[in-house]
Amino acid sequence: MVSRPAARFAHLAGLVLVFAFAMFPFYWMVSSSFKDQGDLLASPPMWLFEPTIKHYAEIWADQKVTAAIVNSLIVAVSTTALAVLLGTPAAYALARFEFRGKSDLWFWFISNRMISPIVLALPVYLLAQSLGLLDTHLVLILIYLTFNLPIVVWICTDQFRSIPPELEQAARLEGAKQFDVFWRIYLPLGLPGVAVSAIFSFIFSWNELLYALVLTRRNVQTAPVAATSFMSGYELPWGKIMATGTVIVLPVTIFALIVSRHMIRGLTMGATK
Amino acid sequence: MSFLKLEQIVKRFGDATVIDHVDITAERGEFVVFVGPSGCGKSTLLRMVAGLEEVSEGAIYLDGANVTDTEPAARQVSMVFQSYALFPHMSVHDNISFGLRMAKTPREEIDRRVAEAARILQIESLLQRKPRQLSGGQRQRVAIGRAIVRNPKLFLFDEPLSNLDAELRSQMRVEIARLHRDLGVTMVYVTHDQVEAMTLADRIVVLRAGRVEQIGSPADLYERPDNIFVAGFIGSPKMNFLKVSVAAVNGGAVTVRHPALAADLTLPTRHAPRVEPGEDVVLGLRPEHLSVGDGGAACLALRGEFAESLGATSQLYAQTGNGETLILQVPGRRSLAPGEGIRAGFDPAQAYLFDGAGRAI
Ligand SMILES: Nc1ncnc2c1ncn2[C@@H]1O[C@H](COP(=O)(O)OP(=O)(O)OP(=O)(O)O)[C@@H](O)[C@H]1O
Ligand SMILES: [Mg+2]
Repeated sequence: MVSRPAARFAHLAGLVLVFAFAMFPFYWMVSSSFKDQGDLLASPPMWLFEPTIKHYAEIWADQKVTAAIVNSLIVAVSTTALAVLLGTPAAYALARFEFRGKSDLWFWFISNRMISPIVLALPVYLLAQSLGLLDTHLVLILIYLTFNLPIVVWICTDQFRSIPPELEQAARLEGAKQFDVFWRIYLPLGLPGVAVSAIFSFIFSWNELLYALVLTRRNVQTAPVAATSFMSGYELPWGKIMATGTVIVLPVTIFALIVSRHMIRGLTMGATK
Repeated sequence: MSFLKLEQIVKRFGDATVIDHVDITAERGEFVVFVGPSGCGKSTLLRMVAGLEEVSEGAIYLDGANVTDTEPAARQVSMVFQSYALFPHMSVHDNISFGLRMAKTPREEIDRRVAEAARILQIESLLQRKPRQLSGGQRQRVAIGRAIVRNPKLFLFDEPLSNLDAELRSQMRVEIARLHRDLGVTMVYVTHDQVEAMTLADRIVVLRAGRVEQIGSPADLYERPDNIFVAGFIGSPKMNFLKVSVAAVNGGAVTVRHPALAADLTLPTRHAPRVEPGEDVVLGLRPEHLSVGDGGAACLALRGEFAESLGATSQLYAQTGNGETLILQVPGRRSLAPGEGIRAGFDPAQAYLFDGAGRAI
């Protein structure tokens, strides 16, 4: 038998281990972004070093990186906003209405995620080319939407189903129209699900590399594309790559932190009983 | 025409018929209670009146208009749900004013009416709280507040007190009765608690398995139950039933015989008797109409089992020779030793007879 303090210590040690394992790459990226090239390549690695913001100044001056981040922001924000705007009403319908073909529609949404993205890359490229959409924000927004919409719909449908149906009935008796019910009951009470799906959508759109590489050229390079573009040539500018990486991770983290405040449980507490 | 009229209502879920040709009416200002065992269709019936459930057959009239296919919102009815169904993300004030806001009522008017409802229900100090910060009884009041603030034509209550503890329940029962008296509105109230039914109702509708068993005032149902189901359902403790055999039928009277009865018992009948001598029928005796001793014109010889004292009254459990258990409700504290012989007297005018099909004779 392990005594309680010992068990707690083991628990804590386990947590620290997992935390360190998860956070070390970030630590490495962030710390490297403040080292100059000499310190970066030192072996054994230098744990203590003179920090420098040289690389940040460099990417700030580099039109390509700032433009890429702006592009990424445009694409990710638009995709997320559209996915939530279109996905939540669909989820409400799937959660609460009976209509013909409902389960087929449901399966169709899931099936969109069963295809490996690479399979579609070439057809989508040809399609975009013939529509004259290559190298535009719109093409990325549209293709990301096809990946994100199903996620928003699933998560929100599930969330909306957990809302007691009496709430909707009560609202209807009180004179609420269809849209009022959605806007004043389902959306606020389904906020945790909406938040989770928005985070997924944002992260996906922000990190996506394959389609961004295939469908864009010079004008609409997104951040991941810009970051990989440093990896050509003979010398790898590690400091710049790490600084770019840090800058790329920052918006997602901030977005996730803000939105996750809505991911609280027990929102429907007090409705019944 | 009645204020509310349900005409030949049928409700089917798939193949199952849960409401079977029900006719019910309610006058303006009346308090009508639906009672019946769990699953008999009380909620379904109420939800059809509200418009939350479609009617499979039949028609519903409210205030002179056929509302069978009218949208719930257009019927001007309010409903207090069994689960309260408060909006958890809104304050008490916003919960109560929801319907008024939907109707685009001016702000001052909303505040005035909410304040009025809060005063009636004594929840003025809670208006800024969220439902999760309220006790069960307070949530109940908020749900009622949401219902009364719009001045609806009809109030529907679906077992509003079933989640409360006994004390709060009787307190709220009194408040609902007061509310009905003060507002003078028509209320339809669903419960499976016959005490609530007896105390609140102007008229009780007893339902069983989707059919109406009897409709009448509380006194009607207590004194003149149409059948054995209503007789057993109304009254607490439950009516005692003894299987007796018919010795003679004589015009408007039936004479019955039972080994525990000191003498054959002749009872007047309410309807022309449909029984033959030799047939088995059921004798119904309410526990509160039985007394210990030979008092009363008729008398049963019983063997004691045990007694339960409730303070002011005691319930005595005793058996007949062939093992039928009867309950006697007697005043004061009284003990009963197992096997002790007791005599239970009663007045034949307070005895009931039911034929083999359970209909009152
Ligand atoms: N949506 C539905 N689909 C199928 N059957 C249903 C549905 N709603 C209710 N029923 C059935 O209809 C019958 C009546 O249900 P109802 O809820 O009206 O009973 P009740 O009298 O209110 O019972 P309780 O006292 O337990 O609330 C039950 O047998 C129930 O199983
Ligand atoms: Mg019910």
